[in-house]
Amino acid sequence: MRKVGSILLLLGLESVGFAVFVAFMVAEGLGAIMAVLFGVLIASLALGRTKRLSEALRNLFEEHRKLAIAWGGLFVLALPFILHDNPYAVHMLFLAGLFVALAIGLDFQVGSTNLVNFATASTYGIGAYTAALLSVSFGWSFWIVLPLSGLAGMLFGFVLGLPTMKTKTYYLSLVTMAVGLIIYLLLNNLSWTGGPNGIAGIPTPTIGGSDFADGLTVFGIELPFQANFYYLILAVVLVEYIVARRLHMSKVGLAWNAIRDDEIAASCQGIDVTGYKIMAFYTNAFFDGLVGAIYAFSVGFISPENFAFMLSVIVIAMVLVGGMGNTAGVVVGAVLLTLIPEKLQVVEAYRLWLFAIIMLVMLLARPRGLFPQLVRQYR
Amino acid sequence: MTHFLEVSFIALMLSSTYILIAVGFTLFFGAINIVHFAHGDVAMLGAFVAIILYGTADALGLIGGSPIWVWAPLLAAAIAVATGGLGLLFERTIIKPFRASPMLITLVATVALGIIVRESVRLFYPQGSNPQVFPNLFGQSGIRLGELYFRTGHLVMLGLSLLLIIAMILLIRRTRIGLSIRAVSQNIEAASLSGINPDVVIMLTFFIGSILAGVAGVLIGSYYSMIKFDVGLMYGIKGFSAAVVGGLGNFYGAILGGLTLGVIETFASAYVPEGMAYKDVYAFLIVIFFLVFKPSGILAEKQYEKV
Repeated sequence: MRKVGSILLLLGLESVGFAVFVAFMVAEGLGAIMAVLFGVLIASLALGRTKRLSEALRNLFEEHRKLAIAWGGLFVLALPFILHDNPYAVHMLFLAGLFVALAIGLDFQVGSTNLVNFATASTYGIGAYTAALLSVSFGWSFWIVLPLSGLAGMLFGFVLGLPTMKTKTYYLSLVTMAVGLIIYLLLNNLSWTGGPNGIAGIPTPTIGGSDFADGLTVFGIELPFQANFYYLILAVVLVEYIVARRLHMSKVGLAWNAIRDDEIAASCQGIDVTGYKIMAFYTNAFFDGLVGAIYAFSVGFISPENFAFMLSVIVIAMVLVGGMGNTAGVVVGAVLLTLIPEKLQVVEAYRLWLFAIIMLVMLLARPRGLFPQLVRQYR
Repeated sequence: MTHFLEVSFIALMLSSTYILIAVGFTLFFGAINIVHFAHGDVAMLGAFVAIILYGTADALGLIGGSPIWVWAPLLAAAIAVATGGLGLLFERTIIKPFRASPMLITLVATVALGIIVRESVRLFYPQGSNPQVFPNLFGQSGIRLGELYFRTGHLVMLGLSLLLIIAMILLIRRTRIGLSIRAVSQNIEAASLSGINPDVVIMLTFFIGSILAGVAGVLIGSYYSMIKFDVGLMYGIKGFSAAVVGGLGNFYGAILGGLTLGVIETFASAYVPEGMAYKDVYAFLIVIFFLVFKPSGILAEKQYEKV
């Protein structure tokens, strides 16, 4: 009887969360947006302050782990169906997925290894430009271009990692910033990248004869075409999430955490500091490149403005607001910080201003993130 | 030769702008180990404060009514106090709560602060999204030296900046205030044990640093004869680069870094083909180059790492 009760409680809690999310997605007014934000902040504060509540919730979740994940997964899959008459909402979901992928990738560096990286926009941009150039100039198919873009990003991450090995903290952040700005300036000034005009006319991907630009009809519900890209990015996020969890549990994650906590102590334990740091760089960069390619194919047009310095800062902010080192927290941070500016379109000119204020308030209220990494537990 | 001298003059102007901003970065880092990323925007605010105060003084009839040596120092002092006060306000409200946080949090929080400052100017200053005309204090007058021609305004501003930089060196090296700033920068606990109030020193560094940034803003404004709300980000990054290349926390490092960056940028855009478009690329390549070989800056203090 108790078990049935706890299952119902879990599903009920999750469902309430989903309902709030859907309400947020369709909400128009500023009041509703602020209410949801405030709610998340309060929930995070409550979880952080009252240990009993957070432990009870975690135990509840652990007890019915599979069920909880299945119910959540079903919801994520069903979202385009729930929002099927609102293509813009589905597009926002796609963008949220995109940034979740970038943020989880960056967390390999920032959260796990304490390597600051202000060049996310460039690795992402290199993936996007690789994809755009290969598909527009050579007409290569999306499915060949996608892994190649990931590899291009990875190669760039490797090259970026090498000169930064000796630098730390602010020095490291400046090197990555400088690289990011150089790539941005080059994209703007080189002729073969299209300069400030970028590259247009990137064809939409096809799969088994059906085009991604055509909406699917499933169970009699007509999905907007944006749903195709949503499911694509969802697959990438899923793979990345599993990779992130696996790495976190493995020797690699432990080595990364050891380097984060103390580099010298880590090297004294026989951890190959340089090797693992570079690995953090190129693992992140691989996913950035992949995501960049998906972005390029989904919008069909890219220009240097999509890969400016601020994008790197925002992805870092997502990791920080979510909670460094905690993949689930990073997902929350990325979704929030993608949807807030999109939702703030209602205040038009005041959008960026308000967004920065919200970001600052969140950092002030929860300096370690909404859901910080817990101490490793071994069971 | 004439061209070379002209380019050198521009390089000196740009370098002193970078130095004035970089000194702030290095002071803050020395005092509390943080990077204040909205510092470039404080420079922009300095220029706007100057426009507003100049306009007010002009409207009150102070500018025409008294000789230049009366109103100019008064105006300069008012601009300095206002900009320094703004910097102090940011420290008290935004930076202080993050003093014990990891570096990245402070960095992103100050980036957010920078966005708020920039957007506030754009939204709330009349016609804020357009470039604002910067008052030209010295008209079109200039000094001719052979084939060279210098605008008086540029010469005065450059002279003032160089004087300020020298004054800063003296302040840091020769006075009790400088001594306490250096003490806090070396070891904040030991400094407070010797009767220095670290909080006062921190506030002082923010006040002084913001004034210097404000002067840099006025320098930018009078050089281009206009100022726009979004110039702060790039100048902030350049000032930060100068401070880091020189060695964060080292006062002379900031000067060296600013000089390096300003010279490279100006000469690259003057002498390298297509240099104008790529001048920032060269500047940042130099930054990377220096940090690869000198990972903690040119004048890094010897640090022993401990577990």
